[in-house]
Amino acid sequence: MQNGVYMLSRNFSLQSVGNIDWIRECYNFDAIAFSIDELIVFNVEREKKDVKEFSRNLIELSKRCFMPIAAGGGIRSIEDAYMILDAGADKLVINTPVITNPELVISFIKTFGSQCIVASIDYKKHDRHTETFIHDGSHSTGLTVEEHVKKAERLNCGEIYLTSMDNDGTGEGLDLDIIKKISEVSMVPLIASGGIGKFNHFTDGILQGKADAVSTANLFNFIEDGLTDARSTMQKCSIDMASWDIDFFKSFK
Amino acid sequence: MEAQIRAVLNLFKPSMVSIINYGMGNIRSVYNALNFIKVDCRIVNSAAEILESEKLILPGVGSFRMAMDNIKNRGLFDAINEAVLIKKNYILGICLGMQLFADEGEEDGLTKGFGWIPAAAKRFPAQVLGIKIPHIGFNRVYFQGTPVNLFKGLGESADFYFVHSYRMVCLEQEKYSSSWANYGERFIASVQYKNIFGTQFHPEKSLSNGLVVLRNFCQL
Repeated sequence: MQNGVYMLSRNFSLQSVGNIDWIRECYNFDAIAFSIDELIVFNVEREKKDVKEFSRNLIELSKRCFMPIAAGGGIRSIEDAYMILDAGADKLVINTPVITNPELVISFIKTFGSQCIVASIDYKKHDRHTETFIHDGSHSTGLTVEEHVKKAERLNCGEIYLTSMDNDGTGEGLDLDIIKKISEVSMVPLIASGGIGKFNHFTDGILQGKADAVSTANLFNFIEDGLTDARSTMQKCSIDMASWDIDFFKSFK
Repeated sequence: MEAQIRAVLNLFKPSMVSIINYGMGNIRSVYNALNFIKVDCRIVNSAAEILESEKLILPGVGSFRMAMDNIKNRGLFDAINEAVLIKKNYILGICLGMQLFADEGEEDGLTKGFGWIPAAAKRFPAQVLGIKIPHIGFNRVYFQGTPVNLFKGLGESADFYFVHSYRMVCLEQEKYSSSWANYGERFIASVQYKNIFGTQFHPEKSLSNGLVVLRNFCQL
C-alpha cells in the first residue's frame, strides 16, 4: 500500500493498482479476505513513510477482515507501533530496524511480546551466496540470509517473513532451495514469499520448502475464488489447514 | 437542538451488546466483527453504561494483573459483578477477558480475578510439555455438549485463532468447560456457566467460525 493505493511489485518495482474500494469492486476483495489465514499489509511508500496515513487506511481495511493482520513499513518508534496496532493490526512487520536499530526491536518485543514481531527479510541470490537488503530492497546489509535470520532470532522476533527479490512478482514459483535451507535452521516459524503464481507453488513451499506458511501478494493471479481453490488444492495434498465456511460471509453482503 | 434530541434519544435506546473498554488491547476488531454481522453494539467505558447494557463482551490482551488493576482503577469492578451476578446479564470474555473470570491469575504476581469460575490462569509449563509459547495460530477446538451453545451450527469441532501463554486450569473442568483444544496438553478452549461465557481463542480473528460464535452469543 502506498498513500492508500494498493501496489503490485515485480522484483521490488512497484505498479499502482487501485484503492481499497476499487479492489473491492473489481477484484472481489471480500472473497480474497475470506480465504486466507492471515493478512499482511506493507507500507511501500518509497520516500517518507507516513505511518499516520497508513494507519488510517489500515482502519478501513480491517473493518471487513476477521483474521490476524500483520502490518509494517516505516515503523521507527514505539508511537508508530502503537498507532499500527490500534488501527487493527495484531503483529508488526519489521525490516530495516532489525539491522539499523536492534534496540528498538528489543523494546517492541518487551512491550508487545515476541508473537507480535515478524522480521521481514528481503534477499537476492548470487552464484554462491545470498545477500539481504533493507530500505525497501535498496541497501545491502552485507549479510547472507542465514546470518540475517540468526540476527532476528537473537533479538527474539516471533516469525520470519522471507522474500526472494529475484522471484518477487514473477509468478514463476518460490525459491525452494533457500526456503528449505532456512526452514531447516530457523527456530521460529518461516513464512515464504516471492514468486507464487500457481496453485502448486503454495503446496511446493510447504511440502518441499518445509515453510510453515506461504504468502502471495500476487492477488491478481488468484482473483474471485482463486485463493479458495488454492486452499482446497493444498488440503487435497494433505496439508493440515484451518477450515471455515466461506458461504457464511455471503449472507452478509 | 436536533443533536441534543438525538443525544437524549440515544440515552434511552437500549443497547443490545456493549464491549467493555478498559485499556487492554484491541477492541476495534471485536467492534468490527459485531458490525459486520449487523449486531447493534457500542463501546462502553463507565459503570453506568455497563449497568444499562443487556449483554457484555469483555475482550483483553495483556497481563492479568494489569487488566484487573485497570478494571478496578476505572471503577468498573462492582458494576461488572452486579451486571453478571445480580442482574444475570450475559457476558462473553475473550482470551484474557475469559481468564479474568477465574479466582486468580499468576501472571506478574498472583492477582485475584472475578472468581465466577473456580479456576486459575496459569502459564503453560512449556518445558515439561515440550512446546513453544505463546501458543499462536489456528487450532482445532472440540465442543462439549452443553444445553445453551455458543457453537451452534459448527458441528463437533472447528478451527479458531489463539494467541496466549496462559490457560485456564479448573479442577471441575467437566462442569465449566464447553470445549477443549490440544497444545502439548488438553486445555480449556471455552467456558460456560449459567450466564457466563468465555473463549480462550479470538472469535473476531477466526473468520466465519468466530463470527458464528459471536452471532450465537448475541442471539442468546
